[in-house]
Amino acid sequence: MIRYLARRVLYTIPTLIGVSLLTFLLFFMIFSPETLARRNLSAKNPTPAQIDRWVHEHGYDRPKAVLFKQHMQSMLTFDFGESDKTKDRIMDRIKAGAFPSLELGALTFGFTLLVGLALAIVAAYLRGSYVDAATMGIAVILMSIPIVVYVIGVQYFFGKMLRYGPLAGYAPGPDGLRFMILPVLVAIVSGSGYYVRLYRTFLLDETSQDYVRTARAKGVSERAVLFKHVLKNAMIPVVTTTVAAIPSLVLGNLVLESFFGIPGLGNYLVGAIGTQDFAVVRAMVYLGTLLYVAGLLVTDILYAVLDPRVRLT
Amino acid sequence: MQATAPAVRAEWTIGVALMLAGCSNIPNPVDWNREPTYFFAFGSEPQSFDPSVSYNSGDAAVMDPVYPSYFRYNFLKQNPWELDLDVGLAAPLREPLDGIGPRGVAFHGETWTFEIRHDLRFQDDPCFAGGKGRPVIADDVVYAFKRMADPKVEFPLASNLADKVLGWDEYSRGFVTSRADAARNAANYDRPMPGVRVDPANRHRFTVSLNQPYPQLRYLMAMHFTTPIAREAVEAYGNQSSLYHMVGCGLFRLAEYTPHDRIVLVHNENSAGATYPTSGAPGIDQALLRDAGKPLPFLKRVEFRIITEPITSYNLFDQGFFDSLSVGQANAPVLLHASKPGTSMSRRGIEMLKGAYPTIEYLAFNMQDPTFGGYTLDKRKLRQAISLSVDSESYVELMNQGLGVKADFLIPRGLGGYDPSYKNPYRQYDPDLTRARTLLAEAGYPGGVDTATGERLTLYYDNYVDNGPSDRQREEFIRKQVQALGITVVSRDTTYAEFVDRTNHKKVQFFNYGWVADYPDAENFAFLLYGPNESPGPNNANYHNPEYDRLFEQMRGMDDGPARNEIIRRMRDFAVEDCPWIYLSENEGPTMYQPWVRNRYSNPILSNLLDYRGIDVERRERLQTEWNRPIWTPLAIFALIAFAGVVPAAQTVHRHRNRRVRKRISEEPS
Repeated sequence: MIRYLARRVLYTIPTLIGVSLLTFLLFFMIFSPETLARRNLSAKNPTPAQIDRWVHEHGYDRPKAVLFKQHMQSMLTFDFGESDKTKDRIMDRIKAGAFPSLELGALTFGFTLLVGLALAIVAAYLRGSYVDAATMGIAVILMSIPIVVYVIGVQYFFGKMLRYGPLAGYAPGPDGLRFMILPVLVAIVSGSGYYVRLYRTFLLDETSQDYVRTARAKGVSERAVLFKHVLKNAMIPVVTTTVAAIPSLVLGNLVLESFFGIPGLGNYLVGAIGTQDFAVVRAMVYLGTLLYVAGLLVTDILYAVLDPRVRLT
Repeated sequence: MQATAPAVRAEWTIGVALMLAGCSNIPNPVDWNREPTYFFAFGSEPQSFDPSVSYNSGDAAVMDPVYPSYFRYNFLKQNPWELDLDVGLAAPLREPLDGIGPRGVAFHGETWTFEIRHDLRFQDDPCFAGGKGRPVIADDVVYAFKRMADPKVEFPLASNLADKVLGWDEYSRGFVTSRADAARNAANYDRPMPGVRVDPANRHRFTVSLNQPYPQLRYLMAMHFTTPIAREAVEAYGNQSSLYHMVGCGLFRLAEYTPHDRIVLVHNENSAGATYPTSGAPGIDQALLRDAGKPLPFLKRVEFRIITEPITSYNLFDQGFFDSLSVGQANAPVLLHASKPGTSMSRRGIEMLKGAYPTIEYLAFNMQDPTFGGYTLDKRKLRQAISLSVDSESYVELMNQGLGVKADFLIPRGLGGYDPSYKNPYRQYDPDLTRARTLLAEAGYPGGVDTATGERLTLYYDNYVDNGPSDRQREEFIRKQVQALGITVVSRDTTYAEFVDRTNHKKVQFFNYGWVADYPDAENFAFLLYGPNESPGPNNANYHNPEYDRLFEQMRGMDDGPARNEIIRRMRDFAVEDCPWIYLSENEGPTMYQPWVRNRYSNPILSNLLDYRGIDVERRERLQTEWNRPIWTPLAIFALIAFAGVVPAAQTVHRHRNRRVRKRISEEPS
């Protein structure tokens, strides 16, 4: 186990370097330092001297290899520096945005998971019935519609027409929960279809196992078979998919945060991409990669913890 | 004091209960909503609140109430605009100044003497001794000028002053751009700036010395660049983002900035005050003068809610949770329709007011292009023919949702030199294109075919496509119009950055562009065709007519008046005949207002509009409640349908279980 963990941690290093390098190369392939300067300077027609000065001030006139090395050094120490555009400390903004993102992510993910799992249990329990068919049909339809359609629809119908909750905004603390009604509703409608189908498959896989037949043969009630045996074993993939999704909760939801005015990291990233703020983009990509790799590592460990048949070597 | 665990639990329980009850859909803080607080949608994250740097109309809406300048535009006057004193005590004194420049050339310039009010005081801030704002003196305005000359500060209008203010370049060279040499930069700030000096006899008076007449200086003195800046604040917060620290002497001060959430301004108790104008433009609604002479501001607080999605802002405005909403390209179709008479918005008293900021949108030829550029008669006729093929009125209607008017020349409405009776002979669209075809034939391209080679003429349209479908639609529109002459139009699509690069290197042939005024003066538009400003300067058509240039040099130092208008008319004759531009439109920026907003008047050149606004709080609260009563019937119907669906589902479950039990019983050995 220890050797496995050490190996996985070592694998993380080339992954992080690789992703950072790719971001770095792609960004400079699309935007020259002069373009970045022009975008970030406030003058309508910046002079070549102003552009050169900006490029020099931000260090973009150094050789790309030197720039990348410095970038990696600062990333490894979590010193993300300042935004190219606003001169804000990037780490401060990340810290400020992490909680709203996590709050939104936890609520949307939690409710989506709950609804998805409940419907999957019903569908699996009533396999082959019209309820199962209807649930699966609706799940496919829900999955097929882009999230923006749900956002606009929910904001208009539930927010504007029926007035069930604030259409957008954010406040910390308990009063802020009312701002989460509509985003959570959007997340449930747009995301639960996927989980219903996924978890139904996990549950049905389990119901065809020998131990289920044995339990039934021993006269265990159908409810007990489902809740005590099948659900417990089906929870292994459920838990692992959940853990793998946790990093994305911290990094925020680009669409929901943007439409519902939630000051999270998703909004921060969208803004940075829009203004071509490379310093912020590269920091967020690095952070995303790190969290994703960490999430996968924890998932692997959880597999071994939950399922005694799995050994990490 | 920290809340105890049970108290926190109770708080959260109440929060959850409120959420589930859906008791209120109001996103604004309730106590603020009951006070004169103005709620405003802010469409993008602010970039900078540094008064020497920021040059963005959105950020200026936040900054200008905090950073007042010597002048402010009269709120109720436009076309033409008029300047009133703000932090200024008296109109500046202008005196001739003759001297010898750095290269031994004699100059005939002028000295402007300004005196600021004696009762000004900076807002309270920890950067001052004891946290109390100190009195504002002329040295604070001179310091603002010094910052403008500091290359590290990135003052966006440096080119407007650098060649005019005495000793600007020499002073500017005293700064070094390296961050490591901060001490040397600080020492340079201690050094006097030759062209901008405090009067030793009066600490509220300062002079600006110029090597040429520059009447436009008055407009710069109405921009936040020239606001008094506290050196203590720059030294305390200079290395931090300007977004969190604004230290000014205006009617408001910054109370909060939460990224991606909101910006809050509150009334600045230290402000010396200002009063509502006592007169307006001729024919102005007299209701706008009911607050004449009253002290400003009428608001206690302003909340700018940062919402980047236009549809969300629109919905919140429609619900009454924003007091006004700017109409941009993204939400224009919806808002323009919604504000028409008879719609829900107009029935509720929501009003849309249009205001024309001085702008010009145009199509330009690269005058150095071998096919379409040049100044011979046939080249001029070729461009004139194309100009006649483009219908500006349809362009405004289709591409700008009707928000604008056709332009005949580069000087827009409301500026000195604008001639309302003028009709550009090459901008009179005729659907039959009779005159355009004649001119095209005379240019050597009958029916769009080159008589010399027999080949069809091709016009390359350099199109930047960063803004989504509208760029494509514009290209389609122009292609359709010009191709009616028989000329093939080929679009060269690039990003905006590539386009700027190509323009700077004079590699474009025909393109769409626009200009938004820095200040309302004809010089700020006429310079777009001034030869020495060719690319990478603002003259991106690379137009070069010595007569036009000579006349421009003459007019730029003149004050508005008949003599200047006559020169502009002569300049117009050259520019129209040479036809480097196809003048398209002067665009407008409408704003929607709720019925409870006082002093609804659109004057887009002002960024400190919030200084004048007021709120009828009781009316707002009453109408918000009326417009936002939850409708529970659909939820009840949904619950009934859901319940009706559960019954057969439960029966299915029951049957399902019985079937298994029956199956098991039947399988048991008897």
